[in-house]
Amino acid sequence: MKNTGNLFYRVVIIFILTMSFGSLSTAKADVPEMSSSLSAVKARGELVVATSPDYPPYEFLVNKNGHSTVQGVDIMVAKKVAKNIGVKLVVKKMNFDSLLVALQTGKCDMVIGGVNPTPERRKNVLFTKMYYHGGQYILVKKSMSWLYHDKNSFKNKTIGAQTGTTQYDLAKKQIKGVKVRGMTSYSDLVLALKTNKVNGVVMEKPAALAYAKNDGSLRAINAEFKLDKGTTGVAIAVKKGNVSLAQAANKGIDQIQKQDLVNKDYLKKAGQYLKVNTEDTSMWHYWRFFATGIEYTLIISIVSAILGLMLGLLLALMRLSKNRLWRGIAISYIEFLRGTPMMVQVMFVYFGIGVLINIPALLAGIIAVSLNSGAYVAEIIRGGINSVDSGQTEAAESLGLSMSDSYRFVILPQAMRNIWPALGNEFITLLKDSSIVSIIGVTDLIYESNLVRSDTYRGVMPIFIAMLLYFAMTFILTRILNHYERKMQYAN
Amino acid sequence: MPIDQPILAIQHLEKKYGTTNVLKDINEVVAEGQVICVIGPSGAGKSTFLRCLNLLEQPTSGEILYKGENITRFDRTQLSQYREKVGMVFQNFNLFPNMTVAQNLMLAPQRVKKESEGDARKSALLLLDRVGLRKMADRYPEQLSGGQKQRVAIARALAMNPEVLLFDEPTSALDPEMVGEVLQVMQELAEDGMTMVVVTHEMGFAKKAADRVWFMADGYVQENGTPQQVFDQPTSERAQNFINKIIND
Ligand SMILES: Nc1ncnc2c1ncn2[C@@H]1O[C@H](COP(=O)(O)OP(=O)(O)OP(=O)(O)O)[C@@H](O)[C@H]1O
Ligand SMILES: [Mg+2]
Repeated sequence: MKNTGNLFYRVVIIFILTMSFGSLSTAKADVPEMSSSLSAVKARGELVVATSPDYPPYEFLVNKNGHSTVQGVDIMVAKKVAKNIGVKLVVKKMNFDSLLVALQTGKCDMVIGGVNPTPERRKNVLFTKMYYHGGQYILVKKSMSWLYHDKNSFKNKTIGAQTGTTQYDLAKKQIKGVKVRGMTSYSDLVLALKTNKVNGVVMEKPAALAYAKNDGSLRAINAEFKLDKGTTGVAIAVKKGNVSLAQAANKGIDQIQKQDLVNKDYLKKAGQYLKVNTEDTSMWHYWRFFATGIEYTLIISIVSAILGLMLGLLLALMRLSKNRLWRGIAISYIEFLRGTPMMVQVMFVYFGIGVLINIPALLAGIIAVSLNSGAYVAEIIRGGINSVDSGQTEAAESLGLSMSDSYRFVILPQAMRNIWPALGNEFITLLKDSSIVSIIGVTDLIYESNLVRSDTYRGVMPIFIAMLLYFAMTFILTRILNHYERKMQYAN
Repeated sequence: MPIDQPILAIQHLEKKYGTTNVLKDINEVVAEGQVICVIGPSGAGKSTFLRCLNLLEQPTSGEILYKGENITRFDRTQLSQYREKVGMVFQNFNLFPNMTVAQNLMLAPQRVKKESEGDARKSALLLLDRVGLRKMADRYPEQLSGGQKQRVAIARALAMNPEVLLFDEPTSALDPEMVGEVLQVMQELAEDGMTMVVVTHEMGFAKKAADRVWFMADGYVQENGTPQQVFDQPTSERAQNFINKIIND
């Protein structure tokens, strides 16, 4: 049972949804949104299911022979549903926080991911029947396990749970005097447990058992919470009103329930897949994950740096122009982009603008980062242009050069040289900040290292590797920038 | 001197910055081939006047006629064509530091006159020869001395083949030992018949090269005469005081 993020995320999502539906109602006819009705799915021949593969044994990535695929109980459930409908299953990976928004903005037909059908969520999406009831366990350190028997042993202790989840509420309500620490990812929570920042972590039974099985220093104990069957199972979410697809899914779920497939078959299979991952948890075994991460981080950074530079130049010239309208547009743009967090901009481009034009996550990430960087670059370039002596413009003018020629050959080359160090800083910042695109599921270095963390049950090492890789990239970039800085000295 | 066809005629020229009236009613003519030296105290408006002549400053009122045509009404293309004909040399040289000496000379001919790179380079080297700096063609401005920079700046202005050259205190940013080499080049230009308007306090140059000396103060041209007239028998007390001052400096 995973969260839909902290308060900040929720506000953002609500904002985006309001915007999206606002535009939907006015321009419904020409919205190129994917239709998810049963007949549309059948006509397309594939069922697009979104999930966040960092939650074993429900869904996780299996790294075998260098290929990585999404596996787990949920995937088997989804396969069964797709088979029943008679179409192919397509799995779309993204961050858990983005799943329900993706559903509402038509980026997938279904969301599966250990989601609890809470009354709050029922307001926004339609749930199928529940396909599994796990129950709640608490993960503790084995060396301390003699202290803990069930939830009541945690009186006046600290317990960890995913922020905004049922587990979080259960712990808070049903354990007296407990202090609940909320975090967004299970990898982080388990790390907190192992480093004694919390005494236990509440999670669903299969997840807790999987952790205990894969890490000898951990143990799972039954929490014995008083549970309400209506909300503690897990179900598939479809878009509100999409009854035909929900009913089709329910047929598959009925079969799964009748034969008790989850307990008898799926969990075992998932366990075997998990073994593949934990057989070799050396970072070297996961080099492909890191390579993909570097590839995407570089693609985003390089393309966005170039686009941002062009946009920044345009904005700087607009801002310096004599035309009040151009100047006003440029100033508003720059102020607005600098005054809002890049995270919100990334989500807005992907989900908000994505309602009108369906753009892939990578493209959305590049657009958002470029738009953001353009605003900062514009101010740097403007400073650079102002730093060029006005005598240079006059000399160019007195020779009869046109305005554009004097910018191109005289002003801008000198401005570039003056601002090169500042621009270099901006590029380095961009490389590091591009990590924000991981929230919409772009497989950059942060996203990939989080996958490695959840697959290998190793909390720190992948972060450390990511850190080294980021450093290596910025180090090389700095050398390249210095090289060009030396080259830009006029006389050598 | 009889003036049938003035190359420049300035009529009722006025320039205001806000409420300060820097140029007040200037009426003068420049004949083809003439060398004019403009002298006057600091703040008199000499630079402003010169900058009005090639429209780096827009006059507030009045007319500037170039061969009979009013330049203050020119559109952009006419203005660009006019600036080809009227070159300017600045006190601070204003060479382009991001280009070599030769490239400084070649830029405008290539971009404005659409000359080929080869042609532009050929004429650039000839001009550098003329100012004695051919060896420096592929150096950058920052590697040159002040006097060399100003000679390059003159060559750059000449590269557009102008009919009039404007100089705004071309030697006052130079160390004294470099003043001579720049004045020498200007002297040669004058002898070759170039029309020149020179703001300068170099009396030696004015006496040798100038046809007329204009004394400016308070936004007016207060005296206009031959160097002998203005320097030896200035009519106003103002001019007399000023000339005594520069002689004693
Ligand atoms: N852009 C401007 N805005 C406002 N006032 C200006 C501007 N340019 C010049 N002035 C003023 O106009 C007056 C004349 O300036 P100008 O530079 O033409 O004098 P000048 O005779 O060249 O003096 P100098 O011998 O010091 O170079 C001065 O009082 C100056 O402060
Ligand atoms: Mg001056």
